[in-house]
Amino acid sequence: MGNLAELLHGFTIAVTVPHLVLMAVGVLLGILVGVLPGLGAPNGVSLLLPLTFGMQPVSAIILLSSMYWGALFGGSVTSILFNIPGEPSSVATTFDGYPMARDGRPTTALATAFGSAAFGALIGVILITFLASWVAQVALAFGPPEYFAVYFLAFASFVGMGGAAPIKTVVALAIGFAIAAIGIDTVSGSVRLTMGIDELVKGVNFVVAVMGLFGIGELLVAVEEEFHARAVSSKIDWREVFRAVGRLPRHSVALLRSAAIGCWMGITPGGPTAASFMSYGIARRFSRRGRYFGTGEVEGIISPETADHAAGTSALLPMLSLGIPGSATAAVMMGGLMIWGLNPGPMLFVDQKDFVWGLIASMYVGNIVAVALVLLTVPVFAALMRIPFVVIAPLIVIICVVGAYSVSNSYLDVVMMLGFGIVGYLFKKLFYPLAPLVLAIVIGDKAEDAFRQSMLMSKGSLGIFFANKLVTCLVVAGIALLLLPLVLQLARPFRKSTSPAAETAAQEKVII
Amino acid sequence: MISRRALELATAILTGSFGVAVVVQSLDNGIGWSSEGVDAGTFPFLTGIIILAGSLYNLVRGIVPAATLASVPIAITSIELWRLAGLFVPAAIFVAVIPLLGMYMASAAYVFAVLAFPRHQSVPWSAATAVATALALYVVFERMFQVSLPHGALAAVLGF
Amino acid sequence: MRGTSLFLLSVSVAVLAGNGPALAAWQPQKPIEFVATAGPGGGTDNLARAVQNIVTKHKLTEQPIVVVNKGGGSGAEGYVYGKASAGDPYKVIFGTSNAWQQPLVSKVAFNYTDLTPIAAMAQDEFLLWVKQDAPYKTAGDYLKAAASGSFKMGGAQSKDTDEVLTRMIEKVGHVKLTYIPFKSGAEAAVQLAGGHIDSHVNNPSESLGQWRGGTQRPLCVFSPKRLPEGPKITATEGWSDVPTCVEQGLDIKQYEQPRTVWLPGKVTPEQAAYYVDLMKKVQATPEWKDYIEKTSQVDTFLTGAEFDQFIKQDLEHVKQVATEQGWLVK
Repeated sequence: MGNLAELLHGFTIAVTVPHLVLMAVGVLLGILVGVLPGLGAPNGVSLLLPLTFGMQPVSAIILLSSMYWGALFGGSVTSILFNIPGEPSSVATTFDGYPMARDGRPTTALATAFGSAAFGALIGVILITFLASWVAQVALAFGPPEYFAVYFLAFASFVGMGGAAPIKTVVALAIGFAIAAIGIDTVSGSVRLTMGIDELVKGVNFVVAVMGLFGIGELLVAVEEEFHARAVSSKIDWREVFRAVGRLPRHSVALLRSAAIGCWMGITPGGPTAASFMSYGIARRFSRRGRYFGTGEVEGIISPETADHAAGTSALLPMLSLGIPGSATAAVMMGGLMIWGLNPGPMLFVDQKDFVWGLIASMYVGNIVAVALVLLTVPVFAALMRIPFVVIAPLIVIICVVGAYSVSNSYLDVVMMLGFGIVGYLFKKLFYPLAPLVLAIVIGDKAEDAFRQSMLMSKGSLGIFFANKLVTCLVVAGIALLLLPLVLQLARPFRKSTSPAAETAAQEKVII
Repeated sequence: MISRRALELATAILTGSFGVAVVVQSLDNGIGWSSEGVDAGTFPFLTGIIILAGSLYNLVRGIVPAATLASVPIAITSIELWRLAGLFVPAAIFVAVIPLLGMYMASAAYVFAVLAFPRHQSVPWSAATAVATALALYVVFERMFQVSLPHGALAAVLGF
Repeated sequence: MRGTSLFLLSVSVAVLAGNGPALAAWQPQKPIEFVATAGPGGGTDNLARAVQNIVTKHKLTEQPIVVVNKGGGSGAEGYVYGKASAGDPYKVIFGTSNAWQQPLVSKVAFNYTDLTPIAAMAQDEFLLWVKQDAPYKTAGDYLKAAASGSFKMGGAQSKDTDEVLTRMIEKVGHVKLTYIPFKSGAEAAVQLAGGHIDSHVNNPSESLGQWRGGTQRPLCVFSPKRLPEGPKITATEGWSDVPTCVEQGLDIKQYEQPRTVWLPGKVTPEQAAYYVDLMKKVQATPEWKDYIEKTSQVDTFLTGAEFDQFIKQDLEHVKQVATEQGWLVK
């Protein structure tokens, strides 16, 4: 229990008045950059980094990591209220969060999301505290074949289910893969699929695609239906915030399962995005109310949010102990570590005990500060839903345009974003599923790289995917998840294949 | 108005042509196996073929007057089309004038236009919202986070 | 603390005074954009941010500086952006030797001739790294072992500096290595720690933490002489204790990666001169020395004809490897 003593020592460092103030400042700034699409934690971190050089390294990292928590929480706000996910990992939150908000329950949706996010983060920190050295060992066991197997597992758990027409799902998935392949290929170094547009060598950024597909696409669907948000209760209701959080323990199975998936994907290379998708997919399959998913189910919010934050938190561990940044933010933070004269890597835990344990203790405290602050903001954000549609619609357009532009200061991205908006509208209208498309854009090229690296290593033999216990288990689990729906269908022969009209009706429910 | 069938066909043609473009482009990178392992074009080629085949299936399914689509013959009515255009056309014009006017002026003009012209809001109120939007963008992006948004050709001529 | 900043201030004043006449020629009138042709946290990004910090701290220009990351397509995104901004003296592009190497081997829509060279500011060294518990102690042992088995060499990107060096090792050492490209050197380092590959050729800063942590160790450095003395990295060894590859029978005298600075094409000579001057001033600051030391790079400054000469030589060299490997784009 040496770790526990270290942790208590860490708390004495983290829980001081100046550090609590730094946490509050960091969290608030983080919420701001998280809420504004186009800005993200990396912007905030690079803004604050120069300010931190005069500080103690531990104070600096507390400020920066608090901002990271704030940004993670803030990222869910636009997903839920406007269907615009600012980060890949909050895409899955839109599936049920947005329908619930549109149904007149934005307060419940936001409070549920924040509550379960905090739970996920807490489990992630506990994992870091007690299993740090074990986790680092596990992460090292992952080579290219294992990476591929993890991505395969994420796809398998999400694809091959849901109500959409199978051929349309396949088309959407393949389009996502093709978009992910645009730009320079890591393994061969050659330029692919630029369609004669030189600037496309940089590839299609996820944010650009998602702002169009989800943000603009949803706006078009909404305006066509003469969308008016259902009357949100006019007075700010604090009680609903607490009620929503208080109801969370009823979903303890979903919470624990999602946290486990999140931690697992965080320490393996899957990351928060794969974690949230996978957790949503599995919840939809195993929840008793699975077929209502997509219409504003509470567990449809809990599952992706818990997994996202559990993964986001446990992903900081590989950064500290191995020196591989799991995200752009972590990369900037790593740059900061080096400027402060600390080298991330296996020795950090030995050389810089105060720093590491101060940071870990601040993760506990920082997350509590973050969830308290962010819950206070819920009624304010929920009130945004009362702005008339005619006013909010142009503002959403501007947010998407600015967001798409600021990703890489490129006008082409703005035009592409608008194009994705039309595609998003058409796909929604005709029941092509967007989720597999997005998942393929985010992890499609990584999966391809891992597959081709494995093929280089094995000189073309597929046997490498069954070469050791770890990779075999992952691959077999993936195949099982793919086949599971088929088996279930065979087991229930009386359930007749859905008629097209019923199919449409069912999807209509999901897609609204 | 636009029928469901026409919309299905248009979308299938759209995805299909993307599939063709992907297939053609991926041939440049080589498909198959070489000394560098799986060639760069292999996976895009396969996905392109899948997109193409799937689109063809959707196309045929759209043409054949099956009972499937009979239940919802009309996808977009003319009123809905009008509303869609009312949102999308100004947005497209907004994006088109950004290189000329810059982000701030273009977004102010856009907000003003969509609020004042359909008489959703009074002119002074629309103008105030427009200016507030542009100002908020400027303060948050240009000042706080030092993200430079486009200033436009006009501003360059005027010497900003 | 106050003493230091006063000292820094006087240094910068002295530098400013010394270059008075050159400054009168052209001065920036609006914010300057530093374009890093790498993602946040990469070596090139660190350089751009270090220069930004130094310029801002010493007030070397009145104008604010913004760092923008354009690392898509192994940096091609940033160079293409630079090409598209021809005539704009407010965009400074930070890159590496891939400004001239990349157009040779992949169909990217730029060439280094589309840009105005400013300077090469630092040289990053390359080392041959193996897993801590690997049986071989010298580069000679490594080559002997590699000759028999099928060794896997990891590296950052494809047909880039790491792979060029790998092919050179193959040729000089008469071995065959399977090169596995990863996204970054840091990723390759972790793969080596996990034993998924046998070796890599990372820069010192990319594997520093791993060496200290005892997961991997350097066999030799691709440099004509040993690295300068510095603080010990592990309990017993520092960078200067790593033998050169030539000493150990791997006859590659020198292989370095310059960090390069460019302006877009079609800028005036005065504008280019302003930035050459600015970079010289940056290099004279104590913070720069600190940056060089922390990242274990070699301090150099090549500009004008010297820089051109360097590019030409390197280009010849890479072209030779690329031709042998059949990488040249048609």
